[in-house]
Amino acid sequence: MSHETNPLLIPLHVSYIQNLGKNKNDLIYHLTAHLRMNAIYWGLTALCTMNHREALDRDEMIDYVMSCWDEETGGFGAHPDHDAHILSTLSAIQILVTQDAIGRLDIDRVVKFILSLQQPSGVFAGDSFGEIDTRFSYIAVNALSLLGRLGDLDVEKTVSYIAQCRNFDGGFGSRIGAESHAGQVFVCCAALTILDRLDEIDTPTLSWWLAERQLPNGGLNGRPEKLEDVCYSFWVLASLSMLKKVHYIDSDKLISFILSAQDPEGGGIADRPGDMPDVFHTHFGIAGLSLLGYPGLVDIDPVYCMPAALIETLGLRKGWQSLERRMR
Amino acid sequence: MHGVRRARQTQEALEAKRLKDQSKLRDYLALSDDVLARKKQKDWSREALRATTQLLQVNPEFYTIWNYRRHILVNGIFPESTPEQIQDLLKDDLSLTMAALKIHPKVYWIWTHRGWCLNNVPSGPGVDGEGDPRGWEKELWNQELFVVEKLLDADPRNFHAWSYRRVVLASLPVSKPETSELAYTTRKIESNFSNFSAWHQRSKVLSSLWSTGRLDQTKSKEEEFDLVQNAMYTDPRDQSVWIYHRWLIGSEILDREIAVIQSLLEEETHSKWCMESLVHYKRLLLHNHAALVDKSALTRDCIHLLEQLRKVDPGRRARYDEIEITRL
Ligand SMILES: [Zn+2]
Repeated sequence: MSHETNPLLIPLHVSYIQNLGKNKNDLIYHLTAHLRMNAIYWGLTALCTMNHREALDRDEMIDYVMSCWDEETGGFGAHPDHDAHILSTLSAIQILVTQDAIGRLDIDRVVKFILSLQQPSGVFAGDSFGEIDTRFSYIAVNALSLLGRLGDLDVEKTVSYIAQCRNFDGGFGSRIGAESHAGQVFVCCAALTILDRLDEIDTPTLSWWLAERQLPNGGLNGRPEKLEDVCYSFWVLASLSMLKKVHYIDSDKLISFILSAQDPEGGGIADRPGDMPDVFHTHFGIAGLSLLGYPGLVDIDPVYCMPAALIETLGLRKGWQSLERRMR
Repeated sequence: MHGVRRARQTQEALEAKRLKDQSKLRDYLALSDDVLARKKQKDWSREALRATTQLLQVNPEFYTIWNYRRHILVNGIFPESTPEQIQDLLKDDLSLTMAALKIHPKVYWIWTHRGWCLNNVPSGPGVDGEGDPRGWEKELWNQELFVVEKLLDADPRNFHAWSYRRVVLASLPVSKPETSELAYTTRKIESNFSNFSAWHQRSKVLSSLWSTGRLDQTKSKEEEFDLVQNAMYTDPRDQSVWIYHRWLIGSEILDREIAVIQSLLEEETHSKWCMESLVHYKRLLLHNHAALVDKSALTRDCIHLLEQLRKVDPGRRARYDEIEITRL
């Protein structure tokens, strides 16, 4: 690690996340309301990974989540009065599970909402307007698994669509015919992992493609010949964990890259060094560091992107492998 | 947040900005409260439509408002409009989303709304056998291909634009020959060999042209090797071309020989060596080229061949059993 790079500034990142909810007088806070539910999940999970779950008030968080319930559709919106969408619905479920508050949820209704979004082709839509994406298939599989309701899913149809999105480079795209992209590789690998269908993955080819995401500066990109970005740290590493190939990445160089994207004054992590931090990159940067065995962090489950111990308690742990936790 | 540089600002500068934003914030909150209140009351008036236009111009990421806008159009405005008026309204929305995409080319919701507009073009201008009832549709979809090309000129790697391009190509009322899409990828690749998105698209188009026999595979492959070698020599550090090269080499020899043996088997229907070799080469395809092949079809073929082999060569049935049980 280069001597100019700071270590992970945990107390600073904790206060950065705590302060995010206190900027209600800022225009940007309101312009990003459509991401609020996801942002709370990112913040909470980052705090769990830094072992500071208590830094945000639990009851207040649960009340907020429940205030985003859309009674008409049976899903969650991103903010009160925003329409239900599968993206915010998964975040809501993940928050409730992490906070041990799933009892507040009308599970039957939310399962019905999720299943209603499956299309005849097997892929899922994000809402009733029908935008389709393998991201939504993963979200459905993840959510149903967390709720213990995978039995209600047409697994064959779900897997069949994902399998058709596999490209010759071993990766997966957002739809049939779409280019491989590290984010889509993550969602497809994780969905197939949860459904115990890793046989649909061409492991040697895909792990080659994933290993080639690392650039000379240590960072990872999401597609060939693109720039590095901290958020891909998690998507690439999580996919490699599921394939048990994290050691294909130069971990020292990637750790340095993620650490160099920290804002050493205000806290938070950005997409790359010198940029404005946000909670999304803060969460995925820290999650990446956890998979790389960075000292002092808590294990994160690469399949569900939630605390590993919690997923283990729920009996949902799959056979992934991350790097061993370093002592210092 | 991507690519926004971090600027250290003094406390005074931050305070000044906050003050300046205060009036913007008040206006934004008033507008957004007004629109959400109208939405709750199912206000589907033209006034409500105008309010959504205003709000979406400020914040095109507010997905709930795009949804509401579609409800206003479908439930409130289309029913009292002529087909000409509907066509004009949709054109307005295409302009609105175009302006938004110029600033936010990676916002999913804007792309989704465009797709919705195009899928709702009324039939016309021709009616009752006079004129072309799909005239409007043709006009707008053809124009859409032009629009997507403009956006790919601005960012040749934008995967939203590529994904949308595939939707447009599949939806054109009068479809374009795939050879013209091949020519498009040639132009994109020749202007920048690093554009893996174009190489990817090319692999899909060629697969389809070859499998339907619209392009002679042997001759076309030779041309591809020339193109690839040219790119390799231009910049051997560029991974796009190496990934494409691997696809091109792919399973060529195996495919060719399997085809030869398959036709021999049609003449020599009980040939043990034909069947044994087919199982062997098909298993090589399955194991070494998993991403390129239809796994379930190949597996089925092998099981069928092994069944035949047990009949024509019963002395070695134990080995055939073992291949089927353990190594398919
Ligand atoms: Zn990013």
